[in-house]
This record gives sequence, C-alpha cells and structure tokens, in this order.
Amino acid sequence: MSDSTQEINQIINQEYKQGFVTVLETDTFAPGLNEAVIHQLSAIKNEPDFMLAYRLHAFRHWQTLTPPTWAQVTIDAIDYQAISYYSAPKRKEDGPKSLADIDPEVLAAYKKLGIPLDEQERLAGIAIDAVFDSVSVATTFKGKLKEVGVIFCPISEALRDYPELIKTYLGSVVPHTDNFFAALNAAVFTDGSFVYIPKGVRCPMELSTYFRINAANTGQFERTLIIADEGSHVSYLEGCTAPMRDENQLHAAVVELIALRDATIKYSTVQNWYPGDKQGKGGIYNFVTKRAECRGDNSKVSWTQVETGSAITWKYPSCVLLGNNSVGEFYSVAVTNNYQQADTGTKMIHIGKNTRSTIVSKGISAGHAQNTYRGLVKVLKSAENARNYTQCDSLLVGDQCGAHTFPYLEVKQPSAQIEHEATTAKIGEEQLFFCQQRGLSAEDAVSMIVNGFCKEVFKELPMEFAVEAQALLGLSLEGSVG
Amino acid sequence: MSTGLSLDAASLPGQSLPWLQDFRADARVQYVAEGLPTVRSEEWRYTSLASLQKKTFTAVAPAASNQVADYHSQQLLADTWRIVLVNGQVDQRLSMLEGLPEGVRVMSMAAALVEHEALIHRYLGHAMAAIKHGFIALNSAGFSDGVVVHVPAGTVLDKPIHCVHSVSHAELMVNTRSLLIIEENASLQWLESYGGIDAEYLSVAITEVFLAENAKLIAYKQQTESSHAYHFAGMYCKQAPYSCFTQHHFALGGVLARSETHTELATAAECELNGLYLGAGRQHLDHHTQITHAQPHSISREYYKGVLNERSRGVFQGRIIVEQQAQKTSSMMANRNLLLSEHAEADSKPQLEIYADDVKCSHGVTVGQLDEKSVFYLQSRGLDEASARNILIFAFANEMVEKISHRPLHAALLTAVLTRFPKLAIQPVVG
Repeated sequence: MSDSTQEINQIINQEYKQGFVTVLETDTFAPGLNEAVIHQLSAIKNEPDFMLAYRLHAFRHWQTLTPPTWAQVTIDAIDYQAISYYSAPKRKEDGPKSLADIDPEVLAAYKKLGIPLDEQERLAGIAIDAVFDSVSVATTFKGKLKEVGVIFCPISEALRDYPELIKTYLGSVVPHTDNFFAALNAAVFTDGSFVYIPKGVRCPMELSTYFRINAANTGQFERTLIIADEGSHVSYLEGCTAPMRDENQLHAAVVELIALRDATIKYSTVQNWYPGDKQGKGGIYNFVTKRAECRGDNSKVSWTQVETGSAITWKYPSCVLLGNNSVGEFYSVAVTNNYQQADTGTKMIHIGKNTRSTIVSKGISAGHAQNTYRGLVKVLKSAENARNYTQCDSLLVGDQCGAHTFPYLEVKQPSAQIEHEATTAKIGEEQLFFCQQRGLSAEDAVSMIVNGFCKEVFKELPMEFAVEAQALLGLSLEGSVG
Repeated sequence: MSTGLSLDAASLPGQSLPWLQDFRADARVQYVAEGLPTVRSEEWRYTSLASLQKKTFTAVAPAASNQVADYHSQQLLADTWRIVLVNGQVDQRLSMLEGLPEGVRVMSMAAALVEHEALIHRYLGHAMAAIKHGFIALNSAGFSDGVVVHVPAGTVLDKPIHCVHSVSHAELMVNTRSLLIIEENASLQWLESYGGIDAEYLSVAITEVFLAENAKLIAYKQQTESSHAYHFAGMYCKQAPYSCFTQHHFALGGVLARSETHTELATAAECELNGLYLGAGRQHLDHHTQITHAQPHSISREYYKGVLNERSRGVFQGRIIVEQQAQKTSSMMANRNLLLSEHAEADSKPQLEIYADDVKCSHGVTVGQLDEKSVFYLQSRGLDEASARNILIFAFANEMVEKISHRPLHAALLTAVLTRFPKLAIQPVVG
C-alpha cells in the first residue's frame, strides 16, 4: 500500500506536466472561417472533390445554426472567426516518409509526453497514430497491421486511399446536421484516425491515437472513424494533452464507430487536455460528438472514458443499438477540480430486440468545479426485452463544488426492464477516520477512497492505461484534498 | 390560444385594488407574450399542449346544474370540513365549515380580498417567485376565485378540510387561486379533489402554501377529472425552519393532466411527496416536482409510482436542488413504473442538482413489468393468470393508498383505485 500511496502523493504534488510548448516552424492559417478557408484546407490535404463538396455543404448548414445553450456550463461566447482552422508543423516537400523525416522537435515533444514514436522503444502490442495540431505526424506498426488486413491510418490519408469506405461510412452515424459542433467539425475537420477491421479479424494489437494541441489560437477538429466488419474485434484508445495557455482553445471532435454483425469495438479515452489554472483561466473547451452504431446482430460497443482535463467537457459517447442482441456499455470517470466544468454522460438508444446496455458513471467534483451527468436511455417500441442498468455516483470533495445528475428515461416497450440508480455524497468521516486509525495520512486515505470509488471503471481500461488513469486522477485532485 | 383569458374586468375579484391590478396586468403581459409552455421548454419536453391549443374554452361561468350536486354528493367524506368551488367560484351553500377551531379562517379568495386585503397582498404570488410559465401567468391574470385558509399560531386542525373543485358545464375554463397560510406550530390537513361532468373542460388551479416555523401541512390531492378534461394544478410551497410538508397525490382522471409540486426548505424543514398515477385509454399524466434545499439539515423524501396501461403515457420529472449552504441535506427520490401495454409509454427524468458537499442524496428509477416469478407463485396457489396479474398490479398501486391514515379518505381512494381493476375480487375493507 505505502508504495503506491507514495506514488500517488508524488503525483498529487505535480503540476500539469504536459503543459509545455514545442517551438517549431508551422504552417498556420490566419484566423477566420469562410468558404475560402475550407477550399484551402481541402486543397492542402489533397482531398478528392467529394470531400470538398461535403465540407462546403456542412459549412453552409453550420452557418444557419446557433450555438446550443442547454448544458449545465457557463461559457463565454466563442468567436469562431478568431480561431485558426489549420496548423501543422512545416513539412518537407513530399511529407514525412519515415520517422527520420519528422521534425525532431515534434519527436522530442512526444518523447516528453512519454509516447515514443520509435517502434523499437514502444511497448509491443500498441500501434499509435500521433496527431499534432491539425495533422497526423506518424503512425506506427502500419505495416504489421496491414499483414492481417487492418487499416490504421490518418483519416486524411484514408480520404485519398479508401474513398469508397469513406463515402459509405463518413457521416453515417453523426451526420453534419446532428448538432452545431458536428456541423462545424464536418466543415473543417483536419485529421484523426481511420480504422477498418476486416471480416473475422481480431486486431492483433491495441490501436491508439495521441492528440496534441500545440499551436496557440487554433482549434483542433479531429475526426475519427472506426469500422469493425462482421465478426471482428478491436480495442482503441485515445489520449489528449495541450500546453498551458491563458486563452481557451476549442477542441470539437467527431468520433463515429460502426460495428457490423458479431463485431466488437472497445473504445477507451484518457482525456487530459489542459484544464486551466487554479483561477479557471485558460484551458481547452472539449466539445465532442461521439456515437457508435451497433448495426449488426450480436455486435457490441463499449465506451470507457476517464475525463480529467479540459476547462469544459461537453460530450455524450452514445450507442445506437440497432442490431438484435447488441450490447452497449458506457463506463466513465469524470474528475473536475478548481473551475473545471463537465457535462457528460451517454445515450443508449434501444431499437433491436434483446438489446442490453450498462451505464456506470462516476463523477468527482472538487474545488469550484461543476460536474454533471446527463444521460438518455430510450427504448423504442421495437426493442423487445431491452435491458438497461444505470448507476451514477457522485463524490463531492469540498463545499464549493457541484454535482448534478440529469438522467432521461423514455420507455415505449412493456417488456423492457430499465433501472437507474444515482447517489451523491462526500467521503464519509467514518471512512476517513478508519483509514487514519490504521495509520494512513488523511491525504492517502482520500486517494485510496477515490481510487476505490473509480475502480469499477478503471478495471475496464487496458492495463497500461489503467495505471495512467489512476495517476491522472491523483493529479487532477491535487490541492483539493485534506 | 383561444382559451379566452377571462379578462372581462368586472367579473374578476379585487378589481378596486391597484396592487392586484398591477399583478394581473404583469401576468397578462407575460401570457400574451409567451403563451402556454411548449415542448421546447426543458420542463415541458414530455408534455405537448398542442391538443389543448386547438380547443376553445370559455371562462364565463353559467349557473351550476344538478349534475354538480350529484358529483358533490359522491364526494362527501365523513370526518372532514368542506369548502366547495363550483366552476371556479366558492359555493357557501354546499360548504360545511362549522366547528372550526377558534381563529381559523377558511374563506373565498373574493371575500378575503375585501376583508383581509393586507394578508393577501403579503402572500399572493410569493411562493413561486422563480418559476413562472404560461399556466401560472394565465392563472395570475385571470383567477376568478379560490380558497384562503389561515391557521393561527399553535392551532391544530384534527381533521382535514376538504376542498372540492368541480365543473358543471362543457367547454369551461376554470381558473382558481388558493392560499394556505399556516402560522407557527400550527397544523393543517388539506384535501383537494377535482372532478366534473363527463365532458371537455379545462381546470387550472394554483395553491400557494406558506408554512411558518414548526408548522405542519398534510395535503392530499385526488385528481378524478372527467376522462375528457384538461387539468393543470400547481402547489407551490415555502417552508420555514422545522416545518413539515407531506403530500399524497393520486392522479386518476383527465385526458391531459399536469401536476406541479414545488417546495423550498429552510433549516431542518422536512418534506415528503408521494404520488400514484394510473393511466389508461389515451391519458397523459405528467408530474413535475421540485424540491429546493436552501438551508442546512433539511430532509426530503419522494416516492412516485405509475401504472400505465393501453395508450397512456406517464411522465415524472423530479428535481432536487441542494444549494451551497444547505449542508447535511438528506434527500431520496424514487420513481417506479409498471408498463402494461405495448402502446403505453413511461418517461422519467429525475434530477439532482447539488452545490453542497456534506449531503446524502440518491434517486432511483425503474420501468418494467410484473415479476414473472410472483405471477407464477400466485398461479401455483390456484389463481388464473389474469387474476394473479391483477392482484400484483393492485398491490403495486395499493402501497401508496396504504400511506393514507384518514380512514374515510383511505376508503374512498381504495374504491377509486379498485374500480380500475374490475376483474379483481377484492372488496375494500373500511375500518
């Protein structure tokens, strides 16, 4: 115990260690958003014509929308014309062919983050796509994955190389008309990961994308698309960090998952964008649309998220359970400290017969933070024998913070069985006293109790990331304990 | 909206009072500007008033008919005082208020505005300062009468006052506003029942409740409107320290009924909200509750159950707000739904909004069917399946009826609930 407690304590006393800035030459668009910017963006990425048309269509739709205001967050109006929509490390004429061609500063930045892109140094068994501001700078183990037919590449590459797959699936789960940020993303998305797992293939290694915002005054608009064909299996993880800056930066991503018959997708997120300083200055606005469609029978999608960063997190990874017997899962730990705000949760839409969903959400709120769970469980008439179990617990640390729970349950099928439970409490004095009486300091005791509170979710993470997530948890609660 | 605001100046009570004129004028401006709430409003997302908007209701009350007298004879409850509103006007002849403890005032709003203007001025509109939607505006602008109850400090009423709301004609809009003012250490039992002739009408009733320190209110609401009626009733409550508010709500009637119960708790105040809704046909039964814990040490308990059959739809929206200074709050909310038909729907939205840390709050929701093992057990004891199911459904609903301690009311409610289970061979035991 004492070893790990010491570790946690060390972590607790750290500042946001990913907050450095990498100085490099970049190609950055001037701030502003208009059709010319989208033309330029599409041209720089060498995209096929249909993509430009898609983007322009989305942009015109976006112009008709107004930003949504229903979330339980306070936010200053975002000036979309003050953001630069493209920033990339300056590339050599024909782009990096191998690691040797990548700007050493970028490599160093990833090394500093603990994400070496050199395949030899990397843990075997995890392939990484590294996205730096608006572009993917490297993808590891591409060759090895290709052997089994798995496509894992930056989405900008997929647009050129696999236009048929893109045409079929892009925007089919989250159309550009879905919401304000989805429309914006469809118009200006720059990079992200594309994964295709062919029929019957079990992806031999964990796939992972590491997102890094570096440039100032830019927005990051990532787009991820994962397609698991019949009978396949994939586990995917994303991580995110950004430098410490006084201005808020916007991150508006769209993630689409498609699971066909008998396929399984496991999607894990460890989100550690810069959360702003102790006074709530700066930090990332993380407004993300994530949705999975279990299209085929017996398919399964599992979302696991550990949300510790961002000034404002506003996202609802969702599952549309279309196929019969399909399964949706959502495991979440959301930690907010200082002036962070989170409005997060999930939607489970039961359409197919015998569909099942599980929601386990753990919210921890400290300092002056506001943490909201918002979730929808909807059972349509067609979803005979649908089953849902929801549990959302909130832990309050300090008397200035808030924890809110807004579940929505809509049931139109009498054979459905829906259960929802929620609790909110602070760490019990008795629990603390018991731990201290056994020789732990108050701070260690709190760490231990918080980790125990989140255990149900952490056990869903791939092993390496579970360790990272626990470490992050301690980091985020720094200074709020005791 | 053609429900015709009754703004025919002469017919409304208290016309000579400038403050009331302003009060009504403000509400009228709001109503004209906003109209009735729509599903675009978060608090109304499950209840569409589109069908109501198409109707025409008139606010002019014709003389009561005999049918109303019939209705009232059915409503007579032993061991109660009684005040009766017919078409939104207090009818003293049908009321029975003899033997009230000294100092207790039970009067019509129209009379109170003349005789106790200062008292009404002090309280009217103050229980729902923050919540104002179209129905409240409509009510404030055009209420025709209502009941004012004032229980002086230290007085305990040992039996309920039964307030009977009834409608005698089709296409009427009835709009009443009541005040319950319960002073320190006083106690009131208040029973509202709603009903009318078997026709379309709109009944809007708002009750504001003021509980002083250590005061107590037990409120019963028996909503047995006609199966074509539209019903909106709100009870908005302000609780002083150590006060105690209990509500038992039975929603049985109406084609579209919305009930709101909102309360704000000061230090160590308590509230308990219980509800049962039985939906059949095309009924839409909406329940909206809001409990605000504004001060430390307060306690709230909320329990709503629904049985939804045929094409009915049950809505439960429960909101609990714990403000920053309200440490040591204890709050529990549960909503259980039985969905019995493939065309029925249950929507539930329990909300916890918590700004204090030293609290214990929880909520739970279930939507499901009868437990098959229980059905099987009863069948193994010789019951046919239909009876077995009926017994279990009745037992599910009866849990809420059993919370009623006033025996005549208990018997009346039991009968009302049992009529929903015609195949059930159980006779109410009155005792």
